[in-house]
Parts: sequence; C-alpha cells; structure tokens
Amino acid sequence: MSAPDSPAWCRWLPALALGAACTAAAAPPGNDPLEWLQRAAQAARSASYSGTYAHSNGDRTSVIRITHVTVGKDEQERIEPLDGPPHEIVRHNDDMFCYFPDAKTVRLDRRVSARFFPAIFSAPASTVAANYVPSLGKTENVIGYDCQWIQLQPKDALRYPQSVCSEMNTGLVIRSKTFNAQRQVIEQYTFTDLRIGQAVPKNEVKSTFEARVKRWFTDTRPRDESKGVATGWAVNDPPAGFQKVTELHRTMPGRPAPVSQLVFSDGVASISVFVEANSAPPRTAEASSEDGTTTFFVHPMGDMLVSVLGEVPLATAQQVARSVARRP
Amino acid sequence: MTQDISSLMDGELEAHEAGRVVQACCASEEQKRTWYVYHVIGDSIRGQALRRAEMPDRILAALSGEPTVLAPRRRVMEASFTRIALAAAASVATVGVVGWLGVQGGQLRTEPAIARVTAPAAGAATNVAANVPSGVPVAGTMAVSSNQPVLNVQDYLTVHRQMPSPEFYRQVSNQAPATAR
Repeated sequence: MSAPDSPAWCRWLPALALGAACTAAAAPPGNDPLEWLQRAAQAARSASYSGTYAHSNGDRTSVIRITHVTVGKDEQERIEPLDGPPHEIVRHNDDMFCYFPDAKTVRLDRRVSARFFPAIFSAPASTVAANYVPSLGKTENVIGYDCQWIQLQPKDALRYPQSVCSEMNTGLVIRSKTFNAQRQVIEQYTFTDLRIGQAVPKNEVKSTFEARVKRWFTDTRPRDESKGVATGWAVNDPPAGFQKVTELHRTMPGRPAPVSQLVFSDGVASISVFVEANSAPPRTAEASSEDGTTTFFVHPMGDMLVSVLGEVPLATAQQVARSVARRP
Repeated sequence: MTQDISSLMDGELEAHEAGRVVQACCASEEQKRTWYVYHVIGDSIRGQALRRAEMPDRILAALSGEPTVLAPRRRVMEASFTRIALAAAASVATVGVVGWLGVQGGQLRTEPAIARVTAPAAGAATNVAANVPSGVPVAGTMAVSSNQPVLNVQDYLTVHRQMPSPEFYRQVSNQAPATAR
C-alpha cells in the first residue's frame, strides 16, 4: 500500500513516458499482441482524434462527442455527453473542468477513477498483461477504418474478458467490448463517426459553453478533495492484480460528512470502495446490484457502511468489501 | 417518400422497391432527416437512447410533430428492424453506422438491473477469498427485505466515473456555495 500522497499510478508514469517515446504511428506492429496493446494504450493519449461514440453498459446507453489533441506532451480533450441537459468536460492532462451552463457552474476536479473511451487502459501494457492474456483476433473494417481486434482474456475469474479493435495505422481503439463469464457482451463502446490525425482542429478542445455564460461560479472542492488524504481505512485482501491508486474523501449529496473512497485498478478495470456512517435507518443486510459491467455491493459493518462499485464480477466486489478494516 | 421510408424500415417493401428507397432516401437533407428521425423513434420505442445525435434540436422538433406514427407498428419493427437497418447501413455511406447498436442489441443484456439482498454469510467470504470465485453469487438471493433502505447506486457511480450529471451537480452545489470567479 502506498501513502496517499504518492499513489501507485505514479510508479507507472515513467513507463508511460517511455511508451510515448517508443511509439510511432507508422506501420502496424507484427504479431506480438503486447506491442498492439502498447500501441492502443499510447494512441489514446498521443493521437489527435475527434468523433462521436456510443456507450452501452447494461441498461444504460449514452452518446458522447469527444475531441482529443496532443500539444507537445500535453493532452487536451473535450467530452460532451449528448443526452440530458447540456454539459461538457474539458480535460488538460488530469485536470478536469466540468461546465454546467444551466447552473452557471464550472466544477474543477482531477482525474482519479474516471476512464474515458478510447483511453480505456489506466496502466502500461505490461501491467495489463500481468492480469490478462492478450491475443490477436480477426481484422475488420469499422466505420471505414481497418482495425485489429485484440482480445484480453483474464488470468482468473476476478475480472471480465475484454476485446478492443485497434485501428491499423494509429493503434487508436475504435470499438471495445466487455464480456461476462458466458461470453455475452455486457458493455461496449463504439465510435460512430471519427476523424484521426491532422484534420482535427485544435480549437475544438476548447469549451463551447464558456463564452455563453458571463459569470461562472467555480466549485473547487472536488479538485481539493482529489489531492487525497489518509482515510484510515484499508482493504486487507485486495483481489490479485488490483493496486491501490489513491484514497480520498468525497462530498456526496445527502451525507452530513464526506465519504471515504479508496480506488483500485488492475490496469483495465477499476474499483471504488466507499466507507461512510451507517446512518438511520441503518442497513443490516448485504445487498448488491449488477448492470452491465457495473457491480455494486453493500456490506454493513456495524455503525459503518462499506459500498464497493467497480467494473468487476460480483465475487470480486464481495471480496473487497468484506476485507475492509480500519488501518491499524 | 416519407411513407416509403417508413415501409422500408418496417420490412414491407419488395427487394427492388427497398433498393430504390435506400438509394433515394438520402438524396436530400429532408429525407435523410426523416430516415434518421424514424430510427430515433424506433430506438425510443425499444427504450434505447439515441444512436447518434448529430441534430438533436431537429430531432426533438420532428419527434414532437410525429408522436404516434410508428407506435402501433412496434411488433413489426422489432421483427424486421435489424435486418433492414443492416442492409441499409451497408448501402448508404452517410448513415453507415446507424444499424450497429441495433445489430449488437441482440447480445446485450436487456433485463433491468438486478438488486439482491443477502444475509451476511460468514461462509461466503471463504468462497471468494480464493483467486477463483464461484461465478454465482451467494444462494438465497432476491429476497429483498422491506425494511432495508433502497440501494442508491447512482451517487456512487457518479463519484466513481467522475462524470456528474447536471442534476447531481446542483445537489452538491446546494450544500456548499460555490465561489464566484
């Protein structure tokens, strides 16, 4: 377990930078699935692209517009969910600016547990390959791009199998599917239109709402909270391959006090562990829900309540929740 | 033409007629819109969200103008929609991906989220302590006891994804006043 001020993913950063230096968006790699994986992970960060993707997860479907450019070493991205009231997230590396024009509010946050397609890997390929066996599947033409399917077969039953379709020239993931143990698709992302490369104008990553509101209110609390804090809680039996990314306090609606959150990741799937007061009326029985890859498991612990949410099978969430204890 | 597009989507046209309508249906912006709006209507009938919202304002306007046209045909559309959407998508480059989610829909789980409540079982912990958990959650599920608070997954999902909905944001901002910039 690392201290909260030096989260585990810091150890991955040098490897990511090395990946950037080694990856060229030229000829596709040969038959080495690990190289394909590396290229796919890198392309999501270093390529410029603009498009719309659909995301289905169990009962939920959403359509999101994304523009991503890299200026020097800096990633800039604009994400606009097209359903519901207008809002958008402008991201500079890990800094997130969420604009809500109706509330005239911009919410500042830092990326902690968020995962935005096509950047679905949160760790270097070697870390992913420690938990999943990558292999190459068929090639396919998807929305006009030739792409190579990369299959990720988990090494145990603690996580879901996944397949990503990596564009031949750049490596960018155009489509991704997550399966349950019965090989049914339970979550998928797919671009429905996409431009890759020089044709993406840099001004498309700027906020489209900022100019519409004269006086924005700024909520800096999420960003302050994202800096992390020692919560006093630990997961004594984390599932194999899941490393703690960070721990922090989060303000949540309807709670008198901030909720402790511990974040774990295996490089593909992530798990959030929440610990809060088991307020009245107290929950006395465990409960769970599953929708697509989103598994939620609640484990009462006397006057405290442990809730685990992640893109993992229920048994994995149960293992995490039942091993939560106060750090000695 | 509008009727033709509707018939095409319902699988009511002969092969040669279908080909003609597919060719013609994207000849003008108006007909493209009709084609698109009808798909959106089909989606909403089946409870799916928009596949691709290029023109949300126009869609909403068109939807409000045509609320009931396709509703009585639900059964026919469900039977034939995927096949037609697939064929048409192959033919018409501008709507090349329209059929994708429809095609994939057959593989998606469509039943509502399952909520289970299990009694705290000491034995169950040993089940998952090993690296190979049992695929099936603890037996004796589905008995939702009435005195337990309702599971509110959304709050936790929002925090986990760091993607607050505007409604969620308003709730948070009401608790502590934001500072003016």
